[in-house]
Amino acid sequence: MKSKQDQTASFMVRFNQQIFDKDGEANVQWRGKISHVQGGDEKRFSDFNDALSFMEKKLTHLTTEATKNEPIEKQKGILNKSLSMWNTIKQVGPKVIIETIKDPLKQVNNLQDQLQGQITTLGEEISEKVQIDQWRSASRSDMNTIMESINDISSELKKLHTKVNALNKKK
Amino acid sequence: MIELQEKLQQLETFKENATIRIQTLGYFKIWRKNIEVSSKEWGRDKTIQLLQYLISNRFRHALHKEKIMDDLWEDGDDSVFKVALHGVNKVLEPDRPSRTEPTYIVRQGISYQLNSEKIWMDVDALEKYIIIGNEALDSEIQISKTAYKKAIELYQGIFLPNRVYEDWSSEEREKTQILILGAYITLAEIIIEDNPLESIRLAQNALNIDSTWEDAYRIQMKAYILKGNRPQAIKSYKKCVAVLKLEYGIDPLPETQKLIKEIQEIS
Repeated sequence: MKSKQDQTASFMVRFNQQIFDKDGEANVQWRGKISHVQGGDEKRFSDFNDALSFMEKKLTHLTTEATKNEPIEKQKGILNKSLSMWNTIKQVGPKVIIETIKDPLKQVNNLQDQLQGQITTLGEEISEKVQIDQWRSASRSDMNTIMESINDISSELKKLHTKVNALNKKK
Repeated sequence: MIELQEKLQQLETFKENATIRIQTLGYFKIWRKNIEVSSKEWGRDKTIQLLQYLISNRFRHALHKEKIMDDLWEDGDDSVFKVALHGVNKVLEPDRPSRTEPTYIVRQGISYQLNSEKIWMDVDALEKYIIIGNEALDSEIQISKTAYKKAIELYQGIFLPNRVYEDWSSEEREKTQILILGAYITLAEIIIEDNPLESIRLAQNALNIDSTWEDAYRIQMKAYILKGNRPQAIKSYKKCVAVLKLEYGIDPLPETQKLIKEIQEIS
């Protein structure tokens, strides 16, 4: 089994703001640096899409490494799913950043709505997926598995709840 | 003025009187009653790792044991944590009577936190000196200079260099780098008229950390002109142009371009 460290990529992103006047007009320029903690590589960017491409490259490598012993078809499928998430992030990510700079409060509200939406969806998914009939003759070990799963879900819900509360306080 | 001067003095006194002193910048070293703790006393690396993790997270509330385990040794069991914690306490307080609470690692239930009010740490002191430097900048320039110099003396290199690939140490490393970059640049600006050569050196230190820090190139250009070295000022500008082009694909800011025009017009 892969360890959590092998399945984790952390990034440190630095933004440096430059405000200046040019031809009598105020301008702002963002300069950034993104570092991949586990690998030590870094890249500078003035366009946030370059930072996203850097992340995508590192994460693709992570997925490729984790699936290198899988059959080719399965590996391709996992990689495609991994990349489709990235396409979404690359489309939405820069927009979120720009909007946050323009109107932080509005963005907090958006994020809060998204979180609430995810909590609701999660609740619906759980109720759909738990089919009680299959568990009527469950063994002790099955029950332990259920308990562990419930604990995991409950812990995730608590985290989400804390985040929502934190966002509420920031308002 | 007295208040800021007192704060500076308090930092010095705290360092002199602290039973435990920890260096995290450039090297990791600990002094207990002014004697450096030897590597033999540490025993295993997990002991050092736990203490470094607690230093990195010292501003957070007490950290739950499970979180610490999850961040450091996800496959380890309770005994791994117990042994490492025992090791840390043994290094910090070798003479502590059994069944008494540790002084430096504060426990709340099964959460733990470093008591940073009783331990002198370079990374803490550096931040406090820079805060004093910033506060004194407009009104007490001498205190400001002293405070920045003290901070710069403490910066012996990056935070916990042996943990650069561990994500729990990244936040503190980044924060310290930004603080010290600011200290180099601000001090270089303050002293540029009196000591341009020192300003050039300080700006170079900033560039050694981040070669794209444009303020540092401008300081070097101004300082070289003050020293009457126009070719070197132009060389600094050219270096700035090359680095920005290579790293970002952009030109220097209008302020830098204006400065080079002024320099070129000097006959």
